[in-house]
This record gives sequence, structure tokens and C-alpha cells, in this order.
Amino acid sequence: MSQLPATYGRAIWDGRRVLGSTFLLAFLLYMLAPLAIIAVSSVGKTWFGPTFLPEEWGLDWYVWANSIGNIPEVLKNSVIIAAMAVVMSLALALPTGWALGRRRVPIRGFLSTLVLLPRMLPPIAFALGVAKLFYALGLVDTLFGVALAHVTITLPFALLVLSATFAGLDDRLIEAAEVCGSRPWRTFIWVVLPLAMPGILSAAIFVFTTSYNEFTLTLLTYGPHTVTLPVKTYLVIGDGFVPVASAISMILLVPSLLVLLLIQSQLKPDKLIGGLKGV
Amino acid sequence: MSFAEQPGAAALGGAGLRIPGLFRERRNGLVTLALLTPGFGGIAFLFLLPLWLVFQLSFAPEGADSGFTLDNYASFLGDGKLVDAFFLSIELAVLATLFSILLSVPLALALRRPFRSNRAFRLLILLPLMVPALVSAVGLRLFWGDVGWANLTIQLLPFVDGPIRIVFTIPGLVLFYVWLFFPFTALLTLAALEGIDPAIEEAAEVSGASRWRVLIHVLLPLAVPGILAGSVLTFIESFGAFSVPLVTGGDYRPLSVQIYTVSAIFLHWNEGAAMSVVMGVTQIVFLVTYFRLLRRRGWSER
Repeated sequence: MSQLPATYGRAIWDGRRVLGSTFLLAFLLYMLAPLAIIAVSSVGKTWFGPTFLPEEWGLDWYVWANSIGNIPEVLKNSVIIAAMAVVMSLALALPTGWALGRRRVPIRGFLSTLVLLPRMLPPIAFALGVAKLFYALGLVDTLFGVALAHVTITLPFALLVLSATFAGLDDRLIEAAEVCGSRPWRTFIWVVLPLAMPGILSAAIFVFTTSYNEFTLTLLTYGPHTVTLPVKTYLVIGDGFVPVASAISMILLVPSLLVLLLIQSQLKPDKLIGGLKGV
Repeated sequence: MSFAEQPGAAALGGAGLRIPGLFRERRNGLVTLALLTPGFGGIAFLFLLPLWLVFQLSFAPEGADSGFTLDNYASFLGDGKLVDAFFLSIELAVLATLFSILLSVPLALALRRPFRSNRAFRLLILLPLMVPALVSAVGLRLFWGDVGWANLTIQLLPFVDGPIRIVFTIPGLVLFYVWLFFPFTALLTLAALEGIDPAIEEAAEVSGASRWRVLIHVLLPLAVPGILAGSVLTFIESFGAFSVPLVTGGDYRPLSVQIYTVSAIFLHWNEGAAMSVVMGVTQIVFLVTYFRLLRRRGWSER
């Protein structure tokens, strides 16, 4: 009995704690509610009145998205484009990342600025040039062209991650392999690649999600044959079918949430900034 | 290296190594050049060339690819709507940055202490960085809309009748921008606060400073470099934001949306290019002055 009043008193008087909890709760709602309402809206068959929940539930909007929105085709485009962006980004960034990470490079400062520059300008400010160039080369409305447009954004990131990965390799392990008589190419395949694999994989995963989510550059280079999920969402909103847009959004969310789960085990706030970009 | 340990620019800086065999740092410039070619060739072709094309287009007469005229800049600056768009972009970026700081500082202070769901809240900060911006736009529009949950809740209050317009207003856009771009400020503020040596805080407490005084005179001043570094990222992301204002802006069209409308819808590519140049130059000028200022104040970390 003697403990009860004490706890009670603390709960009442610890204003700081109450304030802190309220603040965090409000923050939680502010962040999560906009995403939760997408999920509800996508399964709300009829939801027109000012009510907190739909009047009728059903998967009708997904069926709509499938038939009218032609989602299987669009999803296929999105995945193929993202996969092509991964292959191209890695093909270009692996050798250059190696050079930046492990070799003596002249004008290093200038090259670093060059890598960072695309991230310092608003994408829309050079997207016009990309569109102009791709129209001239006939790359607009091809899967390859849209993927290449995405590489504009993903290549600098892949370079940053891979050069850091290669620079961070433990020299002693490579040295040990050499000392034990391993030939260079064997060392590369059996020592260097496995050591660098986490970095290469994280670059690949990031490039994939960025391309899958990319909107600005797709909007200026897509055509009837290369509609991707984000563009489809935009077109559907423009047509006024917001619940259908919610259904497509749910499909768009899947890879991002998977990545969030992947990284949740290792959270270092300052390190995350380098790569992730929301727009 | 794990996915979460993606390094920033600093990683490009130094790599001195001395190892034997294939992996020795050789001075064979040709090999280095061959290795550098794919990556920087890609950047030159996909970024520098388009940038040059935009620049060239902006000075070319209407409908042409090259030439020299200032007409595009003149018609941009002569069009009140487009000039307003420029100032709207700046206004939104400034407001979003200020409110991001106001949200991030208390949040980082709260997350600095361990509690049960601390980790979940840290994940929550990452959410806007992972969710496609267009999906966020759909959700924010639904949630803050006239019949969205936010409005329905507001209407439960007495004295409020009828929905309050939030979507398609400037306060609404600021609300959305903060949701989307505050993580940059929050993550770097959190990192800065966690980097403070606990001994400094203890010393202040032992010396008799109240919690409030410790916060104002010790913690915040030490966190300023982090807050500023994060807020500059929030600022440039807000300034360049495109998909969210496109979907949720309504009649409020910042410069990014106007560039798209003028070039891709009205097909005035040259004028759109002139607007792109103004936008890019504004951002670069902002970044350069900002970092100059930081360095002079000794707040720069780099």
C-alpha cells in the first residue's frame, strides 16, 4: 500500500515525462497515420462520407488497378528497369570505385566534387537536359533509356559506397593471401570479393529501390511502353482515382519496407545520411 | 561494411595503402585512367552533358537548340507567376527548414535517453527516406484532406464546424515538406547530441547548472554544427522538391513544378531551361555562401 501513492504521485507530478510521452505519441501519429490511411483507403470499397473508416470493405480497387491500371505490365517495367539500373550502375562504378578507393588518383578533390555535384543540384534542374539528350538519341520510351536516366542519380551513390568499401578492405587479409602464394586473380575472387560483398550488395539494393521509386527522371523520359509504378500512380491521381492510387502505392511500398527491415538491425544515424534520399 | 554504414563524401578522401602484388599502389597512370573512365564517363555523359544542354537551351531562341538570346530569361523574369514560383520555392524551403529544426531538436533530446521503444522511433525517422515520395504524397493528401483523419479529429473539437482546408495551402505544403525532409535534420542533430562527451554535461551539472541551463548553454551550442549540417540538407531537398508539390500543391506551384509545366506541358523548353539554370545557380550560390559562413564561424565539421 505504501508504494501506490508514491508511484501515483510521480506519474502526476513528473510533467517532463508526460510532456515527453505526449510529444513522442504526436510524432508517431504524424509519421504513421498518412501511411496507414493509404492501406485503409486501398481496401475501402466505398468511403465517400466524412467517416473515420470506410462504409464497405473489399479488394475492388486492387482488381481495378489490375485490370484498368494494367499493373502486371507496369510492375514488370518497373522491375526490369530497376534491374537494368543495378547492372549498369555496378558495371560503371565497380572499376572506378576500385580506383578511387585503392589507387593513387590525381585531382582527387576535383573528382570527389564531380561525384557529389549531381546530388547538390535539384534533379528537375538537369532532368530537362537528360530528356533533351535522350530524345536526340531515340532513348525515350525504351526500357534501357529510362534505366539509363535513373543511372544519373544512382551512379554517384554507387561510386561513393563502392570506393569506401574498397578503401576499407583489411589490407592484412589481402597481404596474407599474397604471402601464402595466392595468385592475384585468386586473391581477388576468394578474398577481395567476399570482403567487399556487403558493400556491393548494399549499393545494389539501394540502386534497385531508388530506381523502383524514381519519379522525376522517369516522368521526363517515359512513354506509353515504359510506364513505371510511380508514373502510373501519378497518372491515376490525375484521373481522380485516389483509391486506385492507394492500391498501387501499397505495391510500391513493398521494397522500401523490406529495406527498412533489413537495415533496422544496425542504426547509425549519421552514416545513413550519405546514401538515402527521399525524392 | 554493412548497409547501414554507408559513408558520405569523406570516404573518398583518403586511401593510402602499401600492399604487395596486384593490390600494391602502383603509379601506372594508364591503368588508373582506364579504371576511372567508366564511372566518370558515365557522369560526364549522363550529368555534365545534360547540364550543358540545359545551359545551351536557356540561351537559344525559342524552339532552337543553340544560339544566343536573353529572351528566355526575360520572359521568365517578366512573368509574375513564374517569379512568384521562385519565391514560393524559397519560402517553402525556409519554413520547412525552420519547422524541421523545431521538430528535430526535442525529438533528438528525447531519443538521446534510452527507453523501451527508442529503436522503433529511430526507424520512424528513416521512414520518409525510404518511402517513395509519390506514395507519401498520396498518404499526406488523404490524411490531411477535407475528409481525412486529421480533419475529422479537428472537427470533434467544439467551435469547429466544417472542414479546415489544409491540402493545397501553404501551411499544408510546409506540413508535408517537414514530414518528407526533416529526417536529414533529425539524424544529424541526434548524431551531434550523441557525440557530446557525457563528462561535459556532468561537469555542468556538478557545477550546479540546472537541466535547463545545461540544455541552453552546453548541449545546444555543441549540437549546432550537426543541426546546421542537417538543416542545409533539409533546405536543398525542400527547394528542389518536385513530386510532392506536383501532387499536393494545387494552385501553389513552386519553381520545380513550373519548370516541368512550362517545358513538358507547354513545350517551351528554352524558357524551362532558363528557369532550371536560375534554380541550379540559386542552389549552388546558397550552398557556397552557407559553407563559407560555417567555416568562418568555425562550425564546419569538414
